[in-house]
Amino acid sequence: MFLMRFTERAYVNYTEEDVRNSPNEAVRLTFSNSNFNPEEGHYLYNMYLDEYEYSEEVGFDGLMLNEHHNTPTCLGATMNLEAAILARNTKKPKIVLLGNPLPIFDNPIRLAEELAEIDMISGGRLVSGFVRGTGVESLATNTNPLHNRARFEEAHDLVIKTWTTPGPFRWEGDHYHFRVVNPFQTPLQKPHPPVWIPGTGSPETLVWCAERNYPYIFLETDPQGTQDMKSIYTEAAREHGYEPGPENFGYLVRIHVQDTDEKAYDVGKGYMVGNIGVGRIPLPRDYASPVGYGSRSDDPRFLRLREQIRSDPFRVGGLDSAHYDEILDSKRWIIGSPDTVISQLREVLSYMRPGILAVWTNDGSISHEDTMRCLELMGQEVLPALREIGEELELTDPFQKEGVMPGLTTV
Amino acid sequence: MPNFTEETISVAGGNLQVYKGGSGDPLLVLHGAGGNAGPRRYAQALAEKFTVYLPSHPGYGKSDRPGWVETMQDLACFYTWYQEQEGLENVRAIGFSMGGWLAAEMLSMTGHAFSKVMLVGAAGVKPNDGEITDIFIISPAQVRDLVYHDPSQVPEWDELFGTDPTPEQAQQAEADREMAIRLTWRPYMHNPRLPAKLGRVNVPTHILWGENDNLVPVECAGLYQQAIAGSQVTVISNCGHSPQIEKPDDFVQAALAFL
Repeated sequence: MFLMRFTERAYVNYTEEDVRNSPNEAVRLTFSNSNFNPEEGHYLYNMYLDEYEYSEEVGFDGLMLNEHHNTPTCLGATMNLEAAILARNTKKPKIVLLGNPLPIFDNPIRLAEELAEIDMISGGRLVSGFVRGTGVESLATNTNPLHNRARFEEAHDLVIKTWTTPGPFRWEGDHYHFRVVNPFQTPLQKPHPPVWIPGTGSPETLVWCAERNYPYIFLETDPQGTQDMKSIYTEAAREHGYEPGPENFGYLVRIHVQDTDEKAYDVGKGYMVGNIGVGRIPLPRDYASPVGYGSRSDDPRFLRLREQIRSDPFRVGGLDSAHYDEILDSKRWIIGSPDTVISQLREVLSYMRPGILAVWTNDGSISHEDTMRCLELMGQEVLPALREIGEELELTDPFQKEGVMPGLTTV
Repeated sequence: MPNFTEETISVAGGNLQVYKGGSGDPLLVLHGAGGNAGPRRYAQALAEKFTVYLPSHPGYGKSDRPGWVETMQDLACFYTWYQEQEGLENVRAIGFSMGGWLAAEMLSMTGHAFSKVMLVGAAGVKPNDGEITDIFIISPAQVRDLVYHDPSQVPEWDELFGTDPTPEQAQQAEADREMAIRLTWRPYMHNPRLPAKLGRVNVPTHILWGENDNLVPVECAGLYQQAIAGSQVTVISNCGHSPQIEKPDDFVQAALAFL
């Protein structure tokens, strides 16, 4: 099992009133950056990088970053910069970018160059995830949401071709046009850095991943819905001649550990601050999912899945408005002493069977001190136990898989 | 009251839904980004003098979208095709909001689209001082609040907004909004090159605006007037973005005087 550490790198120095007074009472997109203090930013970026570097020390296999725009909930607005710093300052862990929002890039060649540099600087440790981005990413970058999926797919094909086909070549697509594709720098990993795709259950993306043998990382999805999504992936994979295993799936969970259950319970409440918003303010629908962004498929399997996802009270976003105790009771967040966390995770892992576990160790208002103690305990007790559980449950990860490693396109 | 019929004709490889009613010379009415509300009171009044053609733009209402209709210029091409096919060239026309922009694009492409044209609260030209309201980052309910200056003076308010939309209507509204996003996303609701191209226009053009337009600033009336030689401007006081709905009597009076 591949164990990677994650945090959204939140900025929480604002009040609920600040959000209530902002356009559409939204904490993303239009929440004014006059609420941002770069002095605090200076401190936070360095603190978060320190925590990632310490995550290597305690034994994580991967450092996972993500990217969002126009929001205090995630300081990673240009995640590749953080990745480049970690590429230089760490030695062993994979740098897992989940992911670059392809549709918002008007120049995917530049993205291919940046990622190639990160891969070389890190000595071939890049895992290059791609996402469609939320509606906010489309709006913040003025990318037409109607073309989101088409741009995602075309930009992906272009990046992969840029990495794998000797240049110069020409690209005249529907959304991208380049007369000379020939960036001199190419990635260290051949044929290209592995590609993993995170998501919350868009069925078209599941099928698209399965067709390419790309691992799909479920982001805090509900257990039953996840089984349905895995069936959609598995069915498409079989049509493409292979049987997916744990190495094709990942799962992101908030997991926080402290010395005692009581302490962890108190500290874990910090997750409630500043994810969707201070005071749990929901995002307007027109920001999160503008008209045209979503799927119009009428495939009955997809409709069933959409209903299932919709009915999950904790579905992404919902987790940010539910009551803390309910979330803990449902084991959607795992918070406690090392023993509690290990035993709950055994249960979750047995059911979800991911080869990749993304450990969202801290967020919101959880302090640096508590985060460092959490990471320390992870290293001393939780990660070794999880490795044993992974062996026992045969949760093979992509790097352990014999033969073709999932994440490498056959393009 | 003139009787309107709804017909479907094939244009450019797709079905086009057209409301048609009245008698007299043809009058082509081009709806705005929000969709085709059908033959409202203003259209009924105009149909006393003209044969009113009120099509649903490709991708709107029951009209198909030929796959190549992606931009306002594509839409203008579509409509010149429609005009040629249906013998509706050199006719009178009114364009509301995005439909006004559409009419202006057609004017910039050909001298024989219209004999006379009215642009009402027309998008298409970038304001110098204000901004065209971004209707895509606010909810449809918020858009409606901005469209009408004083809802109490909208005679058809109950018919238009008195009941919650049915699921089918809600779905249609979403599809209409999707088409508006397709056509007008970037640059938002305007074409930077349009004013220069309007220099060729030599048909009588009347520009009409609600004084309290909260979507397309009233300064755009002046910008259209500067771009189109000999054009006239009327500003209706105490009125929002849709004079034809908010003050239909004033609107019809102005329209008939010009047309």
